[in-house]
Amino acid sequence: MTPSGIVSPQQPASSDTLEACGDAFRKQGRVEEAIHSYLKAATFPLSPKLCLKLARCYDQFKNHSEVCRWALSIVEAGDDLTAWLAGWALYQRHWETSTSPVVRSVKVAMLSSYTTTQFCPLLQLAAARLGIHIDLYESHYGQYQQDIIDPGSRLYAFGPDIVILAVHEGDLRLPEYSSTPEEDVRTEVGRWTALWKLVAERSRARVIQHNFALPCEVPAGHLATRLPGSRYMMTQAVNMRLGEAAGHAVSFVDCERLSALVGKRQWFDPRYWNLSKQAVALEALPLLARHTAAVIAADLGLSRKCLVLDLDNTLWGGVIAEEGLAGIKLGQGPDGEAFVAFQEYILKLKRKGVILTVCSKNNYADAIQPFEQHSEMRLKLQDIALFIANWESKPDNIRRIADTLQIGLDSLVFLDDNPVERDIVRKFLPEVDVLELPDDPAYYLRTLSQYLSLETASLTAEDSERADQYRARAQIKELEAAAGSLEDFYRSLRMQAIVAPFEDAQLPRIAQLIGKTNQFNLTTRRHGMPQLTAFIQSANCVHFGLRLRDRYADHGLVSVMIARCEGHLLDIDTWLMSCRVIGRTVEATMLECLCRQAARLGCTVLQGTYIPTQKNAMAADAYAKHGFELFDQPNGHQVWRYDLQTRGPISNTFVGTVDSWESVDGTS
Amino acid sequence: MDLHNRLEEVFRQVFDNDELVLRDQMIAADIEGWDSVAHINLMFGIEQAFGIRFKGNELADMNNIGELKEFLASKVSSGVAPVRKVHP
Repeated sequence: MTPSGIVSPQQPASSDTLEACGDAFRKQGRVEEAIHSYLKAATFPLSPKLCLKLARCYDQFKNHSEVCRWALSIVEAGDDLTAWLAGWALYQRHWETSTSPVVRSVKVAMLSSYTTTQFCPLLQLAAARLGIHIDLYESHYGQYQQDIIDPGSRLYAFGPDIVILAVHEGDLRLPEYSSTPEEDVRTEVGRWTALWKLVAERSRARVIQHNFALPCEVPAGHLATRLPGSRYMMTQAVNMRLGEAAGHAVSFVDCERLSALVGKRQWFDPRYWNLSKQAVALEALPLLARHTAAVIAADLGLSRKCLVLDLDNTLWGGVIAEEGLAGIKLGQGPDGEAFVAFQEYILKLKRKGVILTVCSKNNYADAIQPFEQHSEMRLKLQDIALFIANWESKPDNIRRIADTLQIGLDSLVFLDDNPVERDIVRKFLPEVDVLELPDDPAYYLRTLSQYLSLETASLTAEDSERADQYRARAQIKELEAAAGSLEDFYRSLRMQAIVAPFEDAQLPRIAQLIGKTNQFNLTTRRHGMPQLTAFIQSANCVHFGLRLRDRYADHGLVSVMIARCEGHLLDIDTWLMSCRVIGRTVEATMLECLCRQAARLGCTVLQGTYIPTQKNAMAADAYAKHGFELFDQPNGHQVWRYDLQTRGPISNTFVGTVDSWESVDGTS
Repeated sequence: MDLHNRLEEVFRQVFDNDELVLRDQMIAADIEGWDSVAHINLMFGIEQAFGIRFKGNELADMNNIGELKEFLASKVSSGVAPVRKVHP
């Protein structure tokens, strides 16, 4: 079956030939056959043009979901501005009627010092690929200050969740040479921090700022690097000081690094600046859009957190079961060096809080041999939260990894040198991100480094311990299977908790939990830093967090509750718990503490609301389980009440509450 | 694909219209949606598709299909080296 005018190829058709067949079919209006050819041509790595052609064909059949799927595929396929813009136009027409998953909807205000007409749709497409729907407000270019300073501006009327300051080096108020560089830098940094402050005061929005890419052209030449007063050096100082001033409150997109990555001559094109004030060349805009979307996702707590690693030819060269310890390539020779560098990079991700797991088709004894005995292995068994080596299918094993660690499939990133395994995982587990590893292991590290969904918004102490906690969780799953009764199991964990009111230093972690906890979250109210500060300051608010540890690990802050005292009622506004400690009676301890607070305030009835979402079904029975009674059901919400006078306080004997770890450790 | 078809393909993508047909006497006003923003996208799309580079002032002026095709023919036949994308 070939379209007229195309000679049927003798050997198996290449992607190019198949795509040409598809083109010819499409020209003749035989769209179904065109799709058939295109799909056969669509092998990884995909090309943006081919994704676009498929989206266009499905457009003719009004197959909304497939249009969206292929339009979003353009984002990974390549930074082709024309294809992206066309893809966005298609996506926009179909997304509302498609089944493509929107995880989160956010209101984003784009404030800029240059033309962002092209950048905005690109950002919307890149965000949509990450499951984020952007409701957009775009200021006129150069109007960012007016918008922020004027309390009655359209910016504030829009009510943004996120304000993006898309600004460029040309907008810096710095002279080419200054005799008072310290002062000039301070003034310029002050101008930006003052704008951040106004945004924080007048809206709930978080600011994401593009930092300043150094230009290609430096009049002072190499001398500039020795002159603190040169604009060149002052620009670097401004970037540094702004980063320091940002703290937890503001996020940055490192445009200086991105501009170096693509090359400064590619980053800025004077022709398009002169014609339409494009401060970032059109060619570089898709890259900037992908990175900005990744920072938004990280801020929303939507980053991925777990790598699933294959072993043979992924972490070392060769096949361990065949070539043995001495035969695999690791440490020696060009490929051996490449695998070591790749492992070292993975280890750095682990220190940032990324969980590492192994999923390999191997005999277990063969698979662990390098980890235990090869001197060049950088990854050790204790770095791996869950190690699976057997002959079952990878999708089954990956599901097991998600179940055991109690994280979603949409938290996983799969790395495997074998394109067949990659295709199987893509097909059966579309929620899992599959990295397209190149043929040459020398480029594995770079490919992983260019994957953006491991971006994190902050590095809390908990983040860096997280990887170890997940390892502990996997061990607990095994213990659970061994323990007799559930009670025995709870006791064997030797759980201890510190329950204390929120402290200022904890607020970023609390905001992070509130922002990303979906499953055990009774009301899913996404309070940001400003609201949290307001709760702390309010006299009739009760707020506390629970830190848990057991015989295996310190899990850090895992549960948060905020309640309001209204007469005899103590009403729970927010209650959530990290899913890593679900099924361990921590809920009862939280309610136990709430009962104590109620007694202190003279409240006699606890009230809790359950607002059902697509993800929080697991919390549906949280109140019923602890003796609350259903009181009312306004607009699908459930209001539960617990009468302290008739039922008495709730308590939990499985978790001991203590004031500090030191007080326990000191006496034991 | 000849020059006319390649150019038409760029127009179809930029204007999100699979049925768009180019004729030599067309000018910007003849094509729905050809405003200043679309013009920038179009010029960029042509540069990428043909591997050529307009001069700064040519970017602003190219809005007649016939002239555009003549211009492209001269650039392509004069053996101007295509602009290759640098690998990231």
